[in-house]
Amino acid sequence: MTMDENKLTFDKITADLTHHIRINKGFLLWMGFLTVSLLVCLYAYSLQLRNGLGVAGIRDYVTWGMYLANFVFFVAASLIGMLISAVLGLIGMKWLTPITRIAETIAVAFAAVAGLVIVSDMGRPERLAYVFLYGRPQSPILWDVTVITTYFVLSLLLLFLPLIADMAIIHRKVPTLPSWLKPVYKFLSLNFTNHPEQNKIINRSIRILLILLIPAALSIHTVTSWLFAVTSRAGWDSTVFGPYFVSGAFVAGSAAVIIAMFFFRKNYKLENYLTDMHFNNMGKVLATVSLVYLYFNINEFLVPGYKLKHADAIHLQELFAGKDAILFWIVQLGGLIIPILFLLFRRFRNPMPLMLISAAVMIAAWFKRYLIVVPTQEHPFLPIQHVPQNFVHYTPTLIETLITIAPFILVLIIITLISKFFPVIPLHETAVEKGVDHVKFD
Amino acid sequence: MEDSNTPHSPHDSEDQKNSTRRNFLKNIGLAGVGVATGAAALYSGHIFEAKKEVSGDQKVLLTQDGKLVQVDSLEIKAMEKTGTSLHEVEGREGIPGRRFVMVTDLSKCRNARKCINSCQDAHQLRPEQYHMNTLQMQDTPNTAPYHMPKNCQHCDNPPCVSVCPVDATYKRPDGIVLIDNERCIGCRFCMAACPYSARIFNWIEPKDAATHEGQNYNVELNVPQRTGTISKCLFSADRLREGKLPYCVEACPNGVYYFGDENEDAVTNGTTKETVRLSKLLRDNGGYQLMPELGTKPRVYYLPPKNRLFPFEEATDATPEKV
Amino acid sequence: MRFNKLLLIFFIFSVGTRVSAQTWVVPDDQKGVVASFKFTPDMQKQGEQIYVKNCQSCHGQMGKDNWAKLTPPPGDLSKEKAQVQTDGELFYRITAGKVPMPEFRNILAEDDRWWVIAYIRSFNPKYVQPNPVAKAAFTGRIVTLAMQYSDPMKKIVVSATEQLKEGQTGPAAGVEVMLYVKRYFGSMQVGDIKTTNAKGEVMFEFPADLPGNKDGFVEVTARVNDPKSVMKTTPANAALAIGAKTDKPSLTDTRAWWSVRSQAPIWILLTYTLSVIIVWGFILYIVYSIMKIRKLSKG
Repeated sequence: MTMDENKLTFDKITADLTHHIRINKGFLLWMGFLTVSLLVCLYAYSLQLRNGLGVAGIRDYVTWGMYLANFVFFVAASLIGMLISAVLGLIGMKWLTPITRIAETIAVAFAAVAGLVIVSDMGRPERLAYVFLYGRPQSPILWDVTVITTYFVLSLLLLFLPLIADMAIIHRKVPTLPSWLKPVYKFLSLNFTNHPEQNKIINRSIRILLILLIPAALSIHTVTSWLFAVTSRAGWDSTVFGPYFVSGAFVAGSAAVIIAMFFFRKNYKLENYLTDMHFNNMGKVLATVSLVYLYFNINEFLVPGYKLKHADAIHLQELFAGKDAILFWIVQLGGLIIPILFLLFRRFRNPMPLMLISAAVMIAAWFKRYLIVVPTQEHPFLPIQHVPQNFVHYTPTLIETLITIAPFILVLIIITLISKFFPVIPLHETAVEKGVDHVKFD
Repeated sequence: MEDSNTPHSPHDSEDQKNSTRRNFLKNIGLAGVGVATGAAALYSGHIFEAKKEVSGDQKVLLTQDGKLVQVDSLEIKAMEKTGTSLHEVEGREGIPGRRFVMVTDLSKCRNARKCINSCQDAHQLRPEQYHMNTLQMQDTPNTAPYHMPKNCQHCDNPPCVSVCPVDATYKRPDGIVLIDNERCIGCRFCMAACPYSARIFNWIEPKDAATHEGQNYNVELNVPQRTGTISKCLFSADRLREGKLPYCVEACPNGVYYFGDENEDAVTNGTTKETVRLSKLLRDNGGYQLMPELGTKPRVYYLPPKNRLFPFEEATDATPEKV
Repeated sequence: MRFNKLLLIFFIFSVGTRVSAQTWVVPDDQKGVVASFKFTPDMQKQGEQIYVKNCQSCHGQMGKDNWAKLTPPPGDLSKEKAQVQTDGELFYRITAGKVPMPEFRNILAEDDRWWVIAYIRSFNPKYVQPNPVAKAAFTGRIVTLAMQYSDPMKKIVVSATEQLKEGQTGPAAGVEVMLYVKRYFGSMQVGDIKTTNAKGEVMFEFPADLPGNKDGFVEVTARVNDPKSVMKTTPANAALAIGAKTDKPSLTDTRAWWSVRSQAPIWILLTYTLSVIIVWGFILYIVYSIMKIRKLSKG
């Protein structure tokens, strides 16, 4: 701990954690950039709405392309909220406190957007409500919609509950808070006065949420993996797909949290709260989940590779030495094996190198989903014949790429807004943990 | 084409007994409202632009209350029809007492592709859209090549139907797997689940969409085809209802197809019109199914390509380069 | 199987010998057959419809040379090769067929076949129809069939009666009889062709495992085998309870993964609904608790 404990007062903590809550030029520029980019992507989506899914490169054989890879990626990234908050939090790892809100923010942003991503892959998006009106409980899609919605609400509540106390502090103590936001914060802080009963309700609710979050989070990614595993196609027909996806999700999510930590620390000057220790520990978390993921990767490729059943043999041939080999090895080496090797060394778990490793892991994580979704469909059981060339090999289009980028912009917008208008580090909790919880509310 | 893309409001539903469902909808709605409104605004802009055109071609129409009105032909739009589909009820109930079955004799197929043409005509399909496709097969390097007509296998354990989230594709009591393209949301999970690659998707505007606009949807023929929905072989359910053989079966010049009712133990050859016992035909010729190990229980049987009548000829492709 | 045997024969002939097209000889007595009526434009139109439905898939559109690439080539019927043939030759070929061309004897009525010829001839400006010859008074055998089921013998007995001279009837011996059972898409022959004995009777065994309806009823038809149409015959029909009783359940009676929502397996419905209720119960409870926080500040 680099912080001088003696100097730590409640006012200092409040000032440190809330000084960024103001509307400044940089924020407006950044948001303006994001909004314009989003509008460009939405224009691309409007073209898809008008002309049909044919504006994308997907066709009758590769029928799920980047949109679905994107969906899997977003669901995966959102899973980190559960790992950090629920699993590690319930075990009682105190060092996690400053990271929990970052993890929950990422969970909320990615889960909310995942729901939209899947709409972009629908041939008739205006019939979305049919899933609720005519939903079949036998279809993994209904389960997926159900658990993602549930997980999103759980994550949103888990983000909100610790914020009640923070907002009570902010609307009183933060002079830079735009005046029009004051009544909103006052309303959302629910007249919180640090009353013991109030704290009791909040703490109990958080505990219930943490427990519910574990099955809900496991479900969202297990069910998402079942979208593939319930089919008999080579490369998808696998019994370890659930844990394979879940462990992969922890890898992507940990990387996302590390990247967010890095930029929040730098932009919001949180060096005293997000210390090298936090990065070191998160580096260890990333290494651990990557090792678990490596274990499932070995299972996923070695077992079918040993038997080489006809369809599996074609699939693995394409991945290991065929059309998809270059991408496959970059992803497997650059996104998994090399990061694990680097993370074994302390010096690579310092903020800057760790952020770079995480960025590589994150990018590889997206292409990994692409490799899970697309190649399998390029070699179905029966030959692809008498169809145009673009049915045989999938090539994404520009419109499709823009529509794939849109969710990333949306996630950045959500994360920016949440981090800009709320303390990135839980304010009230930090004060309580530091023993300076002598908050006076009028 | 739809003229609105805003998500259905939760109050549209008649089926909202379940409070949890309402909650889901609300939450998804909350999350989606931002983007959806943005997209809707942009999209309706397009519609507005499009509407300004005038063809000058005036059509006389009869309104519901019996008045004759004159409307520019570009202003005429098909109404969203709900509950008016042909065969909406019978289309789900099927033909009582039947279990339809097809037998494809590979020894007679010479890739004449008459089945494909006839099928594509009936179902308003583009040349690259196949309900029925003849594949050039060669099982192992040392075995002879042959042509294999492949359509939907109408499985008794249909993986495509299992995964459908909205009951848009369903199995009928008579064994036929159908698609309701007024229900289909276009998620394409069924395509991913089908091991026979039997399903196709309307990626772009269907063939001659303008000509078929306003045509009543017939679930047993799956016409008119609709952008953003699935299509596939229907065993010509509309023809079966009239006691006629499917389009492909009737069009084959080479006697490849037999079609009939398993409950009657009889199949009729589409070319010779000869009716034979199904059990005997399969027994005498070594009938088999495609990939039975997957447990899909197909309703299409194949007779092996032995003693082929015609020398094998490589298939030539007449499909467009890109669609 | 009859069809397969024909195919086999055709196969043997067609390989290497290239005689298939030439060996399709029309019997001399058939060459001179002419229609019994004068072709009219109406008939040509009817013939066109029949042609499009039954012939076009192989012979292609008339005059467009887009016939199917089969062996032997079907050819365009507007062309000389077809048009040099007499009406009788065309009629015979349509009627009798020759693999792979189907025989239309039982598919198209006699008049239908003539109408197709009328249509084919409309592409030949030089064609002059021979004078129609009214059908001569019938001189062949006139046979009527009757059918009944004999319980003790477990056999179908078909008796053939023949019109003798001067309005008398008697048993028709030596008549070939075929038995058919009605199926959804056509009639299926049961057993082989049998010839009536001196009493004009013939017996058919009906396969006990051939499915009937749920009470075992089958609709059977006995017909005289008369490929050259030299007789005037009346078939016999009957609905007999001699088939296997068949009442298979509909294929959608089970609750399965693939069933519609209302038929979903109970355990899936329960698991799904209960999970949703439990989790969302907790969520609602938490939301309710959060509401309470506001009230507590006053305390």
